[in-house]
Parts: sequence; C-alpha cells; structure tokens
Amino acid sequence: MTIASRSLAPTVTRRAQARLGIALVLPVMIVTALFFLFPLGNALYYSMVDFDGLDPNPPFVGFDNFTRMFSDPAVWHALGNNLIWIVVGTASPMVIGLLVAMLLWTVRRGGAIYRVIFFLPYVLPGVAIGIVWGWIYDPVNGLLNQFLRAVGLGDLATGWLGEPDLALYAVLLTAIWAGTGFAVVIFLSALRNVDTELVDASRIDGANSAQRLWFIILPQIMPVFLMVLTLTLVGGFSVFDIVFIMTAGGPSNATEVLGTYAYDQAFVLNNIGYGTTLALLITILSVPIAVLLNRLQRRLSLQGTGA
Amino acid sequence: MKNSLRYAAVGAAGLLAFTLAGCTGGAPGGGGNDDPNTITFMIGNPEDPADLELTEADMAKFEEESGIKVDLKVIPIENVQTIVQTQLRSGEGPDVFGYDTGPGFAGALAEAGLVFPLTDAYEELDWPIYDFAKERVTFDGEIVGIPNDIETLGLYYNSTVFDELGIDRPESTGDLLDACQTIQDAGLIPIALNDLDGWQGGHYLSVILSSMVGSAGMEEFVDGTKSWDSPEVVEALSLLDEFNKAGCFPPSPVAIDYDNGNALFYSGQAAMNLTGSWLVKDTERNVDFEVAYIPFPAPDGPGIFSGGLGAGVFINATSKKTESAIKFLDYLMTQEHGAWVIQNAQSIPAFPIDTSGVEATPLFTQVLDDAAKIADGTGDFGYNIDVLTSTEFNQAMWDGVQAVLTGQATPEEVAANLEAAR
Repeated sequence: MTIASRSLAPTVTRRAQARLGIALVLPVMIVTALFFLFPLGNALYYSMVDFDGLDPNPPFVGFDNFTRMFSDPAVWHALGNNLIWIVVGTASPMVIGLLVAMLLWTVRRGGAIYRVIFFLPYVLPGVAIGIVWGWIYDPVNGLLNQFLRAVGLGDLATGWLGEPDLALYAVLLTAIWAGTGFAVVIFLSALRNVDTELVDASRIDGANSAQRLWFIILPQIMPVFLMVLTLTLVGGFSVFDIVFIMTAGGPSNATEVLGTYAYDQAFVLNNIGYGTTLALLITILSVPIAVLLNRLQRRLSLQGTGA
Repeated sequence: MKNSLRYAAVGAAGLLAFTLAGCTGGAPGGGGNDDPNTITFMIGNPEDPADLELTEADMAKFEEESGIKVDLKVIPIENVQTIVQTQLRSGEGPDVFGYDTGPGFAGALAEAGLVFPLTDAYEELDWPIYDFAKERVTFDGEIVGIPNDIETLGLYYNSTVFDELGIDRPESTGDLLDACQTIQDAGLIPIALNDLDGWQGGHYLSVILSSMVGSAGMEEFVDGTKSWDSPEVVEALSLLDEFNKAGCFPPSPVAIDYDNGNALFYSGQAAMNLTGSWLVKDTERNVDFEVAYIPFPAPDGPGIFSGGLGAGVFINATSKKTESAIKFLDYLMTQEHGAWVIQNAQSIPAFPIDTSGVEATPLFTQVLDDAAKIADGTGDFGYNIDVLTSTEFNQAMWDGVQAVLTGQATPEEVAANLEAAR
C-alpha cells in the first residue's frame, strides 16, 4: 500500500488498521522485550558493576570489566579454543552431514531407519552424551583404549581427556558425533526438493559426481546449507555444556572456552560482573555472523536459488 | 569452590541429615511455606542414594519428636553455592541450609547479613561444639552456624594386596615409592589418583605438604606467615611430579573423575586411594578385601593426617521460622543423634559423643580415635588447604596441580601462581 492510497482511506479504517497492526506486533514486542531487551539491559548493567553475587549494591566500575577482558590472557586462550571449535566443529558436521545425506538420498529402502540412527545422537541430552563419552575415553577402563589394545594399537591408547594437546579435540569429536545427525536430516530434507532433472541432464552432459554436487545440487540447497552453517557456527561461540561436563575446561584450562570461562568467573569465583562481560563478548562475536549469514540466506531465497 | 563443595558433598553424604546439611542448599523457607510448623531444609544430593533414605528417616524421627515438619529439598551438589546465594539474596531460600564453613564461604554470607546469628542459641542451649570447630563458623564475633563432622585426609590401602606382595606399611615417601614399584610390577595401579574434577589435586598437595612441614608449618602457610612459593611447597609439588613420573598413578590421572578413581580401588585394580575419612563407609561397602587407612608419609617419617571440618548448618536470616529452625539444629546437637550418626553414617560430629555403646568397624574405630585427637588437641594434624583458603587460591591450586601432572607448568611456576592468588 502506498502513502497516497493510505491517505485516501477513511480515518476510521486507518485507525482500525493501526490498532490491528499494534495488536499483531504487540506479542512479538512483548516477547522481544521480555526475553531479549530486558536480559540484554540487565547484562549491560552487570557488566558495569563489580558484583560478587552477595552485595545488593555493587559498586559501579564503568568499563573496567571490558578493559580487564581485553588484557586477560585467559580470554584469548579461550577464544583460540572457540575458534578451533568453530572451524573444526563447523566444517566437520557440514561436510560429513552433506556426504551422508547424499548417500541416504539415493537409498531406496530403509531410509527411515538410517535417518533415525543418524539423528538419534542429536536428540540425546548433552549431559548424557558427555558422561557416556567420558566413560568411553577413560584412560584405564575406557572402551576406546580397550578397543585400540584389542586390535593391536595399544601404543595409541592414552588419556584422551587428560592430555592437554588432545583433550579439546576429543571433546570436539564427541560434539561432532552428536551434531552431525542434525545436518544429515536437514540436508536430506533439502535434497528432496532438488530438481533431479537438472542432475540427470548434467550427468548426460558428462559432469562427474563432484561437479554435480558443486554446480547443480549445492546451489539448490544453499539457503538450507547456510541455515545449518549459521546454527553450527553460532553454536561454536556459545559452546558450553559438553566441555563443562567432559573436562570443565581442564586439564589446567587446556580446553577452556569462553562459555566455561564465563561460568567459572561468574559462578565459581563469584566475579559475576566480569562473567557477564564475557558472556556479552560471546553475544557480540556471534550475532554479526548470524545476521550476515541470515541475510545471505534471505537474498538467495529471494533470488529463487535453493530448495 | 568446586572442590570445596565436592568435599562438603562427600562428607555430607556420610553424615546424613547433619552431615548432608554440610552440602545443602536453599529452598523456599523464608517465604515458600507459611505453615509455622514446617521448615525447609535443602541438602546437596549425597553420593549414595542409600544415604538419602537414611536422612529421610532421620527427618521423620525429628518430626515425630518435635511436631515440626521438615520439607527436605535435595539439589545437585555442584549448584549449592549458586542456589543458596541466589535464594538468600532474593529474600527467599530455605529456613535451614548447609554450606561450606570458613571465611570464603559462610563468612561471605555472614558479611552480607544473609545468615541468622546463633550466638544466643549457643548460650541458651549450651551446644557443646568444639572450640576449634566453632571458630570456623564465627565471623566478627558472631556464631552463625553449627559445624558438621570432623574429617581427615589420608591414604587407604589394600592390606590384602600389601600382604600378598610382602609390602609393609610405608613409613616414608621412599617406602611409598618402593611400594609403588612392587605394585606396578604386579600389574596393578599403585595409587588411584583421580583429578579430572580438579579439587582432588588440592587434597594431594594438602597431605604431602602437611606431612612435610607438620601442623605448625601448615599454620604458617594458612595465616600468611610463610609464602606459598617457598621451597617446601615447590618440594611438595615436585614430589607429586616424581610420583607421577615413577608410575605411581594411573595413566592420565587428570582424565579420571572421583567416582572412577574410587572404583579403581574398590575393584582391586589400584592398591591405594588417597581421599577423606568420609569414604570409610563406601569403601567398606564396596570392597571384598582388608583395608587400612594411614597418613600420607613424610620424606623422613610416617607423616600426619590432614584434618578438619566438613561443612556446616545455617539458618536463613530472613526465615520467619527461626524458632523451629533452632529446634531442628538443637535436635542435630543431641547426644542421641550424634551417636546415631556415628553408627549409621560413620561420620563424626564436631562435639563430644559418648561412643561406648556405638558399634563400629575397626577401620571406622581408627578414624574415630583420630578425630578424637583432633578434637582434644592431642594429635598433630595438618590441614586440608581448600577449606581454609579463598576460591581464587583454590582455583589456582587445582589448576596448578593439574598443570604439574600434565607437564604444563613446573612446580616453581605453580608455587608462584599460588602466592599470587593468595
């Protein structure tokens, strides 16, 4: 509706439309204010006070917590681990998920069973996954080391969660195992909407598998691909539960990520103001990426590209 | 804090209601229940569910005797500090709750005015808590809680295996290293060190350092007379490193959690287990061999136990039912309840109990005797460091021991970090 046409509408109608508009957006505004703006404002307040969890009137410290954050080597160490998590923990489920989905796409019988098998880890509680994989990784009685010894690879047996250079990747492997099923199922749904005539035509034209995937299939599922990428990527910044359960950031901070470091500061050391500042950092880092990928996804959808 | 809570938790698991209070948290008591004859009492979940059943039975007995109903709330032990602090600050929270004693924990609550003063109740009801224990719950001259049980840290060993391998009780760290070698040669893990959680490392430093410098030396570290980067601390951390490199511990001990570490000992895969006296009952429940409990040896002698208190029981400052809450605390302080706790929970209250009629296993009898020496001041006992120091220091200690065990830092670097975190 243009401005001109709006101005021609009767006043009563315009008011009714305005009321309807307000009524329609009000729930969203309330939800946004309640679950986003209020917590955000609260977080900003706590990031500017020195709150120990007890003092009802914590002293205002301005940007001290932010200054401290940028000069805290532990933050950079944790951020480095987050980056490893983001790169490995995003690329692996995306690649594995896409390949598995491609395989399942061609399965004629028993597809549902495969989907359940691959999706099952995703619906398991993260705590349960962390505990069970902790047992698997146990250096003395863990299944992994027992398996390695049984197949003659006993030299590779080690304390997976106890070696500073290995522990993060051991936890990452668990997260990849748990998260890949999500990518598989979503990609598989997207593949169902791919124009198979185009795929067949490209095959006739001599395109090999990789070329068909890259030039024909991937562009068609790109919005879905970007959606999964966004969720996985943002999850890499905010990762907490599985690290907390499996190593609590140890040994000696070797697997510390921003989430566990913020938790320790806020709830172990009672530096709630500083912990909140760290949590804000996670938000500040992840939101722009999410917005960027979301816009890209929307643009592709508007262009008519994708499943 | 994690270790401290854990320490409180395991200790609490042994002492049931009274002891569980040591690891309790908060429930609506200041405002959640309007019935004047119902108090809320929140506890951290015990290690063994059977202990919770005993606690419930204990509460039922109190209810029957007093006519006051106890609404027992059990929360995850790792969340006790967060929940209690949050609930107390909000003006809600339990009427009665358990919490770690010492300046870093109950002291912080007292400073914020969140716990009910009990000095008058002590005088009126003549609660006979040992003086050394009372000090741990006294802040700015005000007593704010009743301390739980007396505990020691020491080395459990499988005396059946020791006898089979011809190993005598280690009387020095040299003896212990020799024993480690013999046990390793027999295909067993010598000491079930587990440090995934971190706090266990603080116990190792506590016992090694306590045996090395004695109680007087530990007092100097705790009161600040001596710095934490002094040669004795470096030596203690180096000894831990030496034991690790000598194969006295499981492979990657920082990848093994407390439960799995204990399981190594229970199953006979490990011959020794360093932990607290709170594990006597669980140990006796789970093993089918003879067990002895000794101090971690010193370089030149048998060493001393590290001793101290578990957690304590406190009343919410905003509780509207302080009278009932004090009656509940008074019940926990009775001779009858103390004896019941000793016999059923195998834990030792922090006040004198006539144990003449109490049936106890030989191992627990030994722990009782040791605790009596702590109480009457006749024994030489070291300290469990993490219940006496700040959370910042504890974090540095737990990270530091893990760093030594994984080669991420030298003992000198860790000692310097400890002093910096004091």
